[in-house]
Amino acid sequence: MSSRSAPSAQTELELITQAQQGDRRAFGELVRRHREGVVNVAYRMCGDANLAEDAAQEAFIRAWQHLPSYRPRSPFRHWVHRIATNVALDMLRRERETVDIDALSLPTLDKGPEAMVEGKERGERVRQAVLALPPASRAVLVLREYEGLSYREIADTLGIPIGTVMSRLNYARNRLRQSLASYLEVL
Amino acid sequence: MTEHVTAWLGAYHDGELQGRRLRQVETHLAHCATCRADLERLRALAALLLESPAAENLTPPERFVAQVGLRLPRRPARPAWQRGLEIGWQLVPLGLLGAWAFVQAVFVVAGAVLVALRMSLEGDVVAGLLPASQQGLSLSETFSLSGASLGDVGRIMLRLLGNRGPLGWGVTLNLVLLVLIGLLYWSWMASWWALRQHRQL
Repeated sequence: MSSRSAPSAQTELELITQAQQGDRRAFGELVRRHREGVVNVAYRMCGDANLAEDAAQEAFIRAWQHLPSYRPRSPFRHWVHRIATNVALDMLRRERETVDIDALSLPTLDKGPEAMVEGKERGERVRQAVLALPPASRAVLVLREYEGLSYREIADTLGIPIGTVMSRLNYARNRLRQSLASYLEVL
Repeated sequence: MTEHVTAWLGAYHDGELQGRRLRQVETHLAHCATCRADLERLRALAALLLESPAAENLTPPERFVAQVGLRLPRRPARPAWQRGLEIGWQLVPLGLLGAWAFVQAVFVVAGAVLVALRMSLEGDVVAGLLPASQQGLSLSETFSLSGASLGDVGRIMLRLLGNRGPLGWGVTLNLVLLVLIGLLYWSWMASWWALRQHRQL
């Protein structure tokens, strides 16, 4: 009988240690736990759910390949989000059509204003405004506003100085304040 | 009224300011309606950003996990030689430190021998340093027993170690070896750093 408990009952550190030794079940549990966060990071970066899932899968595969060199000094979540951000940035560079804002037109607008819920429209407008940011600024904004990473963690994640994190974040926020001005005045 | 703190409002809003800068921003905000309004707009923007919908209609978790599992490449166990190589790689700085200590020891000993030889050439003073069993035998006699005179050996040693080159061969060789060890150490550091960057993606 195996002395190991079920993967779902194990701590993250135990799962990481086992996955580093080649245990695919343990890694599968890590994937299950971090799937949503990783997909959402990729989704905020590229704006398409299918592409985000592809990016998330690619990120987990890269994580598996580099897991032996992972040291749990920083949380696994940050590490895998870092990979996901870089994968999404790579995808955006390779497939520029996926960031074509025109191609990401509001789906709800086609249904007419009556059928549109105001909150949903606003959410879509926000999503579009975020996608219109340059990828480098968008990555910083996503990690800060949606993932709650500190400036230091963002700097480590993207491999940039803290000063650059601040300037990119200020730039992104100023752009968003301009593009979403009408919503901010109402609030 | 002090200068506006617009540039620091984002960091203040994110809780990233500390110490003097934090106090400066707080003091300014207490008196400046413009910056307070800017801060409110930042807070409103953060709230608005959260209204952006998360990804919808995603693949069910178990299916997603299975899909990732199917795409995972085989990660073969590393062979023993590769593990040995990795351990050896980690021990390189220790080896270089050992080499440095060895070089230093060699030159200290060589220096001591050189001084002793010079002194003996001048008057066989070294004979007094011999062990008690050889007290009656001078260094010159010791070398003579093996067929070579102390003068010959001393001259050869001096030629090898001390009397050539602008600084003397001993010092020059020492410097060259130290520079070589230093270069190897920094090359290792650079390789280690490059490897680390690569592994962190």
